[in-house]
Amino acid sequence: MSIAVVGVNHRTAPLEVRERFAHAPREVPAALARVLSAGAGGGVLLSTCNRTEFYLAEPGDAIPATVWAMLTERLSEGRSASEYGYLVRDRDAVRHLYRVSAGLDSMILGESQIQGQVREAWETSRSQAGPVLHRLFQSALLVGARVRSETALAAGAASAPSAAVALAGKIFNRLAGRAALVLGAGVTLVANRTYERARAVAEELGARALTLDEAWEHFASADIVLTSTAAPHAVVTWERVAPAIGRRGGRPLCILDLAVPRDVEPAVGQLENVFLYDIDDLQAVAANAATERHHEVPAAERIVSDEVERFWAWYGGLAAVPVLKEFRGRLDDMRAAELERALKRLAHLSPEDRAQVEQFSHALLNKFLHHPTIALKQAAQAGRGYGLLESLKKLFGLERLDDT
Amino acid sequence: MVLVSHLLALGLYGLATAFAVAPFAGLRPAPRALTLGAPLAGAAVHVVGVAQLTPVGVAPVLSILALFLVLLQVVSERVFRASAVALFTGPLATGLVALALLIGLGPEARPVVGGGRWSLLHITISILGLALLALAFIAAALYLLQFRELKSKRFGQVFRLFPPLERLDRLNHLSLVMGFPTVTLGVLLGFGVRYAGGVPVDAAQIVWGMLTWLVLGWAVGVRVVRHWAGRRAAFASIAGFVAVVLVYLALKLAAPGTERFL
Repeated sequence: MSIAVVGVNHRTAPLEVRERFAHAPREVPAALARVLSAGAGGGVLLSTCNRTEFYLAEPGDAIPATVWAMLTERLSEGRSASEYGYLVRDRDAVRHLYRVSAGLDSMILGESQIQGQVREAWETSRSQAGPVLHRLFQSALLVGARVRSETALAAGAASAPSAAVALAGKIFNRLAGRAALVLGAGVTLVANRTYERARAVAEELGARALTLDEAWEHFASADIVLTSTAAPHAVVTWERVAPAIGRRGGRPLCILDLAVPRDVEPAVGQLENVFLYDIDDLQAVAANAATERHHEVPAAERIVSDEVERFWAWYGGLAAVPVLKEFRGRLDDMRAAELERALKRLAHLSPEDRAQVEQFSHALLNKFLHHPTIALKQAAQAGRGYGLLESLKKLFGLERLDDT
Repeated sequence: MVLVSHLLALGLYGLATAFAVAPFAGLRPAPRALTLGAPLAGAAVHVVGVAQLTPVGVAPVLSILALFLVLLQVVSERVFRASAVALFTGPLATGLVALALLIGLGPEARPVVGGGRWSLLHITISILGLALLALAFIAAALYLLQFRELKSKRFGQVFRLFPPLERLDRLNHLSLVMGFPTVTLGVLLGFGVRYAGGVPVDAAQIVWGMLTWLVLGWAVGVRVVRHWAGRRAAFASIAGFVAVVLVYLALKLAAPGTERFL
């Protein structure tokens, strides 16, 4: 009875290695089949840009080596995947998945995309997961949802793009339907220093292309201006846009300058109702949100710990039933064998007496087993049964249960 | 009963204020059920107390004004998701109820002097109009604070917890647009009570009532006719509300006493 995680993540492997280990959904069934053939009761492969992890139920001793060998094939000569990886077992493996699903193990703390990726991994591996991992992944998704609803771990905008959306969202009630002017390359109106480039991008996005000179007039009507040209100096100057902005009639204008060096002259930000933000501002918003999220980590970890115990109680209980059955069966076989031997030596006994002796052997065995059985069941229900069960298996030679 | 319900309302409004202030002090925001539940529970017990009051004198008017402010706060939070309104309405309502208790609320309902139900309606509607003007002031103040935060790129608690500028501007606009007809109706009922009902009305009441009506009319006019919006409209709302409050205080200083509102 065991659960294990074998894999790499953004903390243990650089991007150059992680991208080699990434598995497309179509590659997952074959990769899992290869790992499971080394001996495991079920597997799920979670592969994202930040991690490649094999979650395995009842893994055999050869499993880690098989995973490392398979991943090493994707590396250049002389390197081994195991240098970048980790193996986590049992409760820690459950905790690991719950932390991943909750966004506690993400590069951007609390990011929510991972929740969808965990779901996709589970669905892609569904036919190979087995009942224990089904339950584990279902509960991991619930843990992720619980952490996000009961803590503020996912609150705020902790990346530059989400910071840009958060900034615009603090000026406008809703962002849908806003007129956007994109200077550089990228939605309703697209202006570029090269008109042909602007037209190509605009056609792709269903927008309208402008030359840069035509763009200045649109500062009177646009709600959001996004700039990211490769110009070596500011192209949006006070002289060029102040007249158009003056015609806005008090409506706010959000300018997001993503270029380095900056595209927008700082003086433009001094204009009434103009909110100008550059890449440093976006990073400041993202950093603030990340700091806020760190305050939520203890609360999120508490939820994870609670849920790990809950899962382990279920898992321990699940494992206790066949072990106890085997344990009782093994001792009953011993009782029957010893009884038969004893009765051969006591051939003078009447059938009634023989029945009494057999009854006695049953009663004695039940007396012996009563307390350990109750204690094991209680320990398993409380999530503390794993160690006891392992001891029982070793002491009474029940390991063959693992083989089955 | 009047005293008990006001004391209970005071406690619940204080609790609601604590919930509103907590996130700004770096504490975890209270669940929405509590931030809405506490003021609503306070308003419910407050209604019981207000129903037994005669709206004559400063204390009952302050109590009714507090009740309307809390109800508008709940509506703002529900409709505009502007929970930051409670930062102003919470302490204001708590302070008004406390002040009303200090001044002394009448334990029993007394008959309104002349005018009967019409007089009661005039007073209630006028106070509602005043509460809407206060809400416009609060939305404007929140707008200016968020504006300053965004312009100065501070990205602190105000940035995080205040609603977007556009939503605050709409709340200000709606409060003024709803407040103006409400105050107009209040003023018309006042004239009705005065001339048709024969209720004696002081010059101070007429001056203050007309001033409030004119200020609201001007604030609505510049928004609707001259299309003021944003910061300029916010300054207009604040100036109007401050003028109404200052003129009231001046009139009250000229003729002190808590027996009459003015």
